[in-house]
Amino acid sequence: MKKYIAIFAAVLALCSCQSLKEEFQPVFTGEYQAPDAYRYYQDSDFGKIITIAQLASCYKTGNPFEMPAGDKKYSPTDEQKALLAGAVIKGTVISTDKPGNFYKSFFIQDQTGGMEIKVGKNGLYNDYLPGQTVYVKLDGLTLGMYGFKSGNYGGMGMVQIGFADPSGEYETSYMEIGYLIDKHILRGNPAEAVPAEPIEMKESDFPDGKTATQAKSRFVGSLVTIRNLRYSDEIFCLLYLDSNKDKKSYTNRIFLSDTNGIEKYGKTHGIKTLAMSESQMKEYLYAGCWDDCLVGSGNEYLLDDNGNQVSVGMLRGDGSYPAIEKAAYSVSQYFSTPSGIEVQIRTSGFCKFANYPIPADVLDGSRRIDVTGILSIYNGSFQFTVNSADDFVYSDTKEKLYK
Amino acid sequence: MRYKLLLAIMLLFSVLLPSNAQGLAGTVTGTVVSRIGREPIDNALVQIYSEGQEIWSTKTDVAGRFWIVNVANGNYMLSFSADGYAPSMVNIVVEGYEKDLRFISLLPLNADRDELDASNFSELDMDDSGYNDNPTILFGSNDPYTSIAGYGFSSIRYLNRGYSSETQDVYLAGVRLNDAMTGLSPYGLWSGLNEATRSKDTSIGLEMADYGVGGFNGTTNILAVPESVRSGWRFSVLSNSALYRLRLMATYASGPLDNGWSYAFNASARLGGNDWVEGLYYRNFAFYGGVSKKIDPENSLALVAFVSPGQRGAQNASTQEVYDLMGDNMYNSNWGYQNGKVRNSRVRKTFEPVALLKYDYTPSSEFSATAALVFRTGWNGYTALDWYDAMDPRPDYYRNLPSYSYIEDEDYNRANDEKAAWAAEMWNPAISAYSNYQHINWDRLYNVNMNNPDGRSKYAVEERHKDQNELDLAGNLKWKASENFTLKAGYSLRLNRTEYYKKIADLLGGQYYLNVDQFAERDFAFDESKIQNDLDYYLAHGTAEKIGKGGKYGYDYIARLRKAEVWTGGEYTRGNFSATASARIGGESFWREGLMCKGLFPESSKGKSEVRSFLTYAGKLGLQYIVNGGHRIAADVGYFNDAPTFEQSFLSARTRNDIVRNLTTVKTVSTDLTYQYSNGGYNARITGYYTKRMDQTDLMSFYDDSQNSFTNFAMTGIDQRHMGIEMGVKVPFFVEGLTLSAVLSLGEHIYTSTPHMVQAIDNSAEIIRDEEVPYWQSHPVYKVWKIEDGVTYYDQDADGYIVDHYQKHYVPSSPQLASELALNYRTNSYWFFELNGQYFAHSHLDMNPLYRTHFACSGGDGVETPSEIEYMAAQEEFDPAFLLNCSIGKSWYIKRTYNIGFSLQVNNMLNNTWVKTGGYEQTRLIKSAGKDRYYRFDPKYFYMQGANYMLNIYFRF
Repeated sequence: MKKYIAIFAAVLALCSCQSLKEEFQPVFTGEYQAPDAYRYYQDSDFGKIITIAQLASCYKTGNPFEMPAGDKKYSPTDEQKALLAGAVIKGTVISTDKPGNFYKSFFIQDQTGGMEIKVGKNGLYNDYLPGQTVYVKLDGLTLGMYGFKSGNYGGMGMVQIGFADPSGEYETSYMEIGYLIDKHILRGNPAEAVPAEPIEMKESDFPDGKTATQAKSRFVGSLVTIRNLRYSDEIFCLLYLDSNKDKKSYTNRIFLSDTNGIEKYGKTHGIKTLAMSESQMKEYLYAGCWDDCLVGSGNEYLLDDNGNQVSVGMLRGDGSYPAIEKAAYSVSQYFSTPSGIEVQIRTSGFCKFANYPIPADVLDGSRRIDVTGILSIYNGSFQFTVNSADDFVYSDTKEKLYK
Repeated sequence: MRYKLLLAIMLLFSVLLPSNAQGLAGTVTGTVVSRIGREPIDNALVQIYSEGQEIWSTKTDVAGRFWIVNVANGNYMLSFSADGYAPSMVNIVVEGYEKDLRFISLLPLNADRDELDASNFSELDMDDSGYNDNPTILFGSNDPYTSIAGYGFSSIRYLNRGYSSETQDVYLAGVRLNDAMTGLSPYGLWSGLNEATRSKDTSIGLEMADYGVGGFNGTTNILAVPESVRSGWRFSVLSNSALYRLRLMATYASGPLDNGWSYAFNASARLGGNDWVEGLYYRNFAFYGGVSKKIDPENSLALVAFVSPGQRGAQNASTQEVYDLMGDNMYNSNWGYQNGKVRNSRVRKTFEPVALLKYDYTPSSEFSATAALVFRTGWNGYTALDWYDAMDPRPDYYRNLPSYSYIEDEDYNRANDEKAAWAAEMWNPAISAYSNYQHINWDRLYNVNMNNPDGRSKYAVEERHKDQNELDLAGNLKWKASENFTLKAGYSLRLNRTEYYKKIADLLGGQYYLNVDQFAERDFAFDESKIQNDLDYYLAHGTAEKIGKGGKYGYDYIARLRKAEVWTGGEYTRGNFSATASARIGGESFWREGLMCKGLFPESSKGKSEVRSFLTYAGKLGLQYIVNGGHRIAADVGYFNDAPTFEQSFLSARTRNDIVRNLTTVKTVSTDLTYQYSNGGYNARITGYYTKRMDQTDLMSFYDDSQNSFTNFAMTGIDQRHMGIEMGVKVPFFVEGLTLSAVLSLGEHIYTSTPHMVQAIDNSAEIIRDEEVPYWQSHPVYKVWKIEDGVTYYDQDADGYIVDHYQKHYVPSSPQLASELALNYRTNSYWFFELNGQYFAHSHLDMNPLYRTHFACSGGDGVETPSEIEYMAAQEEFDPAFLLNCSIGKSWYIKRTYNIGFSLQVNNMLNNTWVKTGGYEQTRLIKSAGKDRYYRFDPKYFYMQGANYMLNIYFRF
């Protein structure tokens, strides 16, 4: 019997060991309590808040750099370095990717201008609510520009904040990495969020697209309302034969532009919707709207075996245009202010209102519209991106175009 | 008991051998009992040898008694063996009269080992990889191969002969219970009820069973009735570091009482986590109760009910990049901290009770019949994160990894090394502040939901349900028509109604979840009716339904199945020769019944689908010859024509009624040849097998990067060929009580056809590819001309590149070479020790068909090059593994009534944490910089756990 007592004692001794206690920690399987709210930030958490205009003024075209000091390739002036060192910008979130017209980035604005933050994630409106205050720590992020083109037909693009892009394809890349994002983008309390009031933009407020950036105009990158826009019977859209192939090759591109194949449908190419989803694109394509457009870009055109330029119509096949990729495409619809300033309203083919038709009375120029959205500059031209279909109203009655 | 058939044959055989008696002289009699508890052992084989030659054999009755009559005077050796006991030998002298040996006690072989319940090691749930919780082979006996392969190979997820689990027929009280929807074996229904389900009849390979024709991968019949549970009280406490911390089990069985009643119960609890994989845990309970009544000698009735409810946290596979970043091949991406507590997003929750009513009719020793009715019901849920238009919450999502920003090879066009460094930093396991990036960030999910002004949850935990209701009725009879012919026959009927749906398990701080299809929204964002999961609700209310906790959403449909079958078999013996023949024929019908009208498919989502019916049949022939002295030669052949399963028949059962085109039955032809030797403590078996399976179907749904769409992929006409040998030897080794066992399974399990594939867009049912999968069964390896600066140049002739040879592709996820050498020592004082080494090789990764298409091998430029094919179509072979395991045990008896003991098993003593047990290829493609070719996404793997123990302490009386 002694033996059993000894065994029993041994087991008991083992069970009292600390390591065994750890080994036998129970797994929690009960009801989980909701976690605490995020930590929210306020101005006092930061040493130096600079304005978006101040930030944009540190950018020199063609020279993206990592803030604050750049590197061997390019470094800003000492003054700029001093300004940027340890600085944050603060702004209100003015864009939403909820309906899908913005994608992977959002805009903030302060009193001096607006700035795109290239986050690189989906569903950003869940994490950065419209109207919420956001602080962006600049150290380690890259200041760059998208859409600059030199020469007579070019002009400024938009100053943006993103991460370095060593491939050189763009001046900035999306941040993408959760830790990188959370280290740099800090939230104010969403309970205090107040959606931004759009700024009324008069014709005289339009800056010079050749030279202006957020550094010079508070309207650039901001949420603005432009009134009395009239449809100018022109669109721009770039189609691909196959997006699995090189998208930059002229053999893969079809420009629906103001010069290519405009005989039958004019410069609108028959496109009467804000943009086109895949199904809408097929409708236009199968109707033969673009049959006269040539495959190619610039002055280079795709040639067939006989040396003839290839048009979309030649690719009709059995009626389904097998050689052309059916996909959603973004479209720029051109409008102009009463004094003739051109504003391209650019809408994504993936957004919820992509297929919304532009009303006939707008298309025929008999009625004008007021539009609220984010003003940007691309190659010196004004591009306009709306958050939702509610942002279009008739100028005369102030009724929404899309109810 | 596995060799019941064999024993019966041997018994018949022995009856036919009166000529061996050399002059009538004496009788030998005795009772075979267990050394533990002195319980009589029935069905023990008693062989009598004269001068090394077996001259007679018999088996004991239920009281453990045996008689050998007409034994001539002389010296003999008697050998006793029984399933689960160490064999024993006695020398006797017959001098006329009746010689009563009184009690022959056998030492229970697995008295300690079966308490280890090594089969528990197979219960890991790795649902995503296609793993299931089945033991590889569920029988332990004197056959050295199956006893080792059945217990010892489960940690590597060994599949017997490379066959998948659904080929193993599992019966409960004579009713086949393989899952009606998938064919998978149903062990989960009684997991944790090890004592109540311990008694079983099994057959291996193509052997015919008493309760059906059976398949080609053996049959197991769990007896389940209370009189089959070992009588007395049994308690055990088990702890292990691989699955769960603690198992408590209690069992009581009355055994047959004088008044004809028997009753038994078994209950257990399995709780806690393990040493290796965080998030993996058990919280399972199991209950069994059974009562039976022997009304008279001819009639008996049994009623049994059991249930194994509970929840289990599951593990997920990740890429090697993630494992390397975390420095841990056991990393599990399914969990994260919530308020400092580990929370797993993938939990299996089940409650599936089963009731059994069984009637036995035994009017004579020549005729017996049984009928059994089984009813199963309950629910089976599996949670997962669901999200709508929000960031992917999975921590190991490929965009969160360094490789998404930087890969050294420039052709990947991923040059952002600085960003990769940020990603690598985020995955630094040493910094606990980063755990929200390395694991699910529950805090963020709650914050997003709580901050949403309209209360809508963008993240939720869903629970995918597969709730079965099933009624099975089966009847079997056995009639010994004459001395050398036995007839068996039976029928079975099955009615199954399974509802598939999902419901909201947790809104994670939000108020509701909106019942819309976010995948549909990708393509039809502008069309609100198309994105509805429940179009009827939308049309009635003008808006999608706001789903609260517990509400059904997403999809909801019923699968219905009807199955009927009759079978018969005969067993003929003459002299040392015996033959069995059996056949079955039946029909199976199933259809889908959609309960929700889906916006994408208003015509084909709701209501009844076409009914698919299949004629099923099978035939088997077995021949056996027994040579005196313990030799046996057997050969079997069978042909099977079985219906495809419901889950392999609908292209996208979740959304619509579309049935896979060219759906047909699965045909199998199988044959094996066995030589077995069993004598004087020596046991050996060698079996060669050849099996061909034809016309199998495989279904998958995945995101196709080339289409930017979620797609359904059906592959039909998949053929496999399994052939190989398996052998096992067990020999006494110098010292008494010491035995050496060796087993080897060497096979070649390959794909042998070029299947056809149909790929459809999930949102539109539009078929985008309808072609062959050319590199499924093999891929060409081209003749190399030269390798210069790391670039391979291939030789060409006038016809193009020259194929050097074709590389075969293998049936995955199980080693095709498995072996073990074990040294076993047991003493008369009830100590036992075992040390074994195992070696596994030729295990392959599961292939995805997309990588074996011309499309994936040609890239954006449409041109297939040798290097593209050899890269894209190749199949990964895992590194071989060597494992060392040991166990030790001891039991004590107190006053011959109480038995207390322990056993301790240590597995993977070398602590190998790099042994891949399975995984899968992702179905996604990376476009090269020049868009001229594709690269693969990294595959995901499961690894074997490192060193782990299992300690069991038991008490019985």
